[in-house]
Amino acid sequence: MFNGFCHSVMGASHEKRGIVCQDASAFKVGEGFAVAVVADGHGSKKHFRSNIGSKCAAEAAVETIETFFADPDAFDASFKEDHKWLIRKLEKYVIYLWNEKTMAHLKENPVTIDEKHLFEHKDFIEIPESSYYGTTLVVAVAARGYTFGFQIGDGSLVAVFEDGETSQIIDYEESNPANITASMCNAMAIAMFDSFYVKDKRLLCFCISTDGLYTSFGSDYDFLDYHTIIAGQLPNIEAFLPSLKNNLVKRSHYGTEDDISLSCIYDPELVVSANETVKAKILDNKRKAAERKAKLLNK
Amino acid sequence: MSKKNKPANSAPKPPVQEQQTKLPELPEDDFDMLDFDDDPLSATGVSRKSLVIFFLIDTSGSMKGTKMGELNTVMEELIPEIRRVGEADTEVKIAVLTFSTGVKWMYAEPIAIEEFEWQRLTASGVTSMGEAFKELSMRMSRNSFLNSPSLSFAPVIFLMTDGYPSDDYKEGLEALSSNSWYKFGLKAALGIGNEANDDMLAEFTGSKDTVVHAYSGNQLAQMIKIVAVTASQIGSKSMTLADQNEQELSDEDVYASKQKMLGQQIQELVSKNESDDVSFDSGW
Repeated sequence: MFNGFCHSVMGASHEKRGIVCQDASAFKVGEGFAVAVVADGHGSKKHFRSNIGSKCAAEAAVETIETFFADPDAFDASFKEDHKWLIRKLEKYVIYLWNEKTMAHLKENPVTIDEKHLFEHKDFIEIPESSYYGTTLVVAVAARGYTFGFQIGDGSLVAVFEDGETSQIIDYEESNPANITASMCNAMAIAMFDSFYVKDKRLLCFCISTDGLYTSFGSDYDFLDYHTIIAGQLPNIEAFLPSLKNNLVKRSHYGTEDDISLSCIYDPELVVSANETVKAKILDNKRKAAERKAKLLNK
Repeated sequence: MSKKNKPANSAPKPPVQEQQTKLPELPEDDFDMLDFDDDPLSATGVSRKSLVIFFLIDTSGSMKGTKMGELNTVMEELIPEIRRVGEADTEVKIAVLTFSTGVKWMYAEPIAIEEFEWQRLTASGVTSMGEAFKELSMRMSRNSFLNSPSLSFAPVIFLMTDGYPSDDYKEGLEALSSNSWYKFGLKAALGIGNEANDDMLAEFTGSKDTVVHAYSGNQLAQMIKIVAVTASQIGSKSMTLADQNEQELSDEDVYASKQKMLGQQIQELVSKNESDDVSFDSGW
C-alpha cells in the first residue's frame, strides 16, 4: 500500500560546536497503515539530553501507531466514528510512552557530574527531569482511504496529491501554539498538540520534516515546490535517495546550519501512474517562480 | 474502538528505521568540491540567514534640488558597498520606504542586494513621517515583508529626513514601538541640514549616539555610508549568546549590545570624518 524512507543530517553548526545531532527520524509500514515521524531535540543548555529525547519520541510514536493498528479494521471503524477522540488518545499514549522511555533512560543513566557541572546547584534542582530530554514531535499516518497526523512543537507536514498540488497541512506560524515553545517535556504537553485529518483525497506522498529544512528556504513557494520535485523522483527512489541526502547536507551547510530530518511515506503505484502529471506540475512551478521574480523586479 | 485495539502496557518494540549522515569531514574551503551538479532538487535555492535593511527616506518638497540629487547619487554608490559588507553566510535584502504627502515603497517587497537597483527619487509634498512609521510597523511582520522561512537577523532601520514631520509622528512612533522587529532592530537616523531635529530623531532611534547630522553634500555622502555600512556589518554579525560566565543571554541583551556597539562605532567614525566643509544650508 505505502512505502517510505527517512533521513537525518547533522547540522553544520552542531558539528562545529561538537554537539551531537539532536534530530531523529523514523518510518514504518504495517498492515493498514504507514507512519512517518520526525523529532527535533531542543538542544539548549537545560535540555542536555534532547538527542536521546528525540529518539525516544520517534520510537514512542511508531510504537503507538503500530499498537493501535494491531487490528486495522477496528481502528478504521473507530476512526470514522470519532477521529478527534482517537487522535487525542494517540497523543496521550505517545506522551505516556515517551515519559516511560526517557525516565527509564534516566534510571539507567543517572545525571553525570559533567552534566551537573554546567549549572549552579540551585538552578539545576529547578529543572524538571523530563526537561533534560525536551523535544518536538511530528507524526503523519496514511491509512486506508484517509490520512491524519499530529504535532507538538515546530516542524512541517507537506502532502503532495495526485495532481501534483501540495499543501502544508499545519501552517508553520509563530502564533500557532503548537509551534512556539511546545514540547514533549511540558507538563501540559497534551494541550499543545495540533492535529489534522484528510479524507477522500489520494496522496502521492506525505513528507514531514524538522524546521532545519523549512528554514533553508527563501519562500513558502520554494518549500512546497521542493516537495513536488521529490514526488516526481519517487518512481526511481533508489537512484534519487543519494541525491536527496546530498541535498539535505547542502541545505544544512549553506542554509541555517541546523540538523535536518525528512521522513516520507508514499504510494509506490500512484507515484508511477501520476508521474507525467507531476513532471508537468514541476515545469509549471518553475514558470510561475520566474514570473513572480520578474514581477517583483518590475521587469 | 474495540477493546482489542486498546494499547497494551507492554507494547512490542518495532524496529525504528533511522539513518543519520554526518557532514563530510572536509576543510571549509573544500566543501565546494562536493558534487551537487546532478541534484534534481537544486531548482529550489538554499537560503541563508537574512538581514533586511530598511531605508526610510524623506522625499518632501524641502528635499528638492541638491539634497535629493546628492542622496540619489550616494545611494547608487552605496549598494555595491553593502553587497561587499554582508558576511558570506548572510543574505542582505533592501527595502526603501519614501514619505512625503503619502508613503511609497520602492519595490513591492525587500529585494536581495544582488538584484537591487536604485530607482532615482524625486521630492515634493509634505512630511508624513508618522504615516511612514505606521506603514513600516505593518510591513515588519512575519505575515508581510519578513515572511521568508529562513531565519532573520533583526533588521536595520535607517531614517533620513531634513525637516520636522507634518503629521502626528508620535502616534506613528507609538505603533512602531509595539513592533518586536523594531524593538530588536538596529536603528539609526540622519538629519539633513539645519531644519532636522536631532531630539526627535533620537526618539526614533532610542539614543543620541545613533543620530548623525549632515550639513553639506560631502557630509551627506559620508554619513549615509558610515551609518549604512556600519549598521549592516553589525546587523549581520552573529553574536555569542553566552556571557563570560557561560550564562545564556536573552535576545534583548544581544540586540541591546548590538545597538550600543552601533552607537559607539558611528560616533567614532563620525569624529574621524569631520570635515571643514562650508555650512550646508548655504550650500544646498
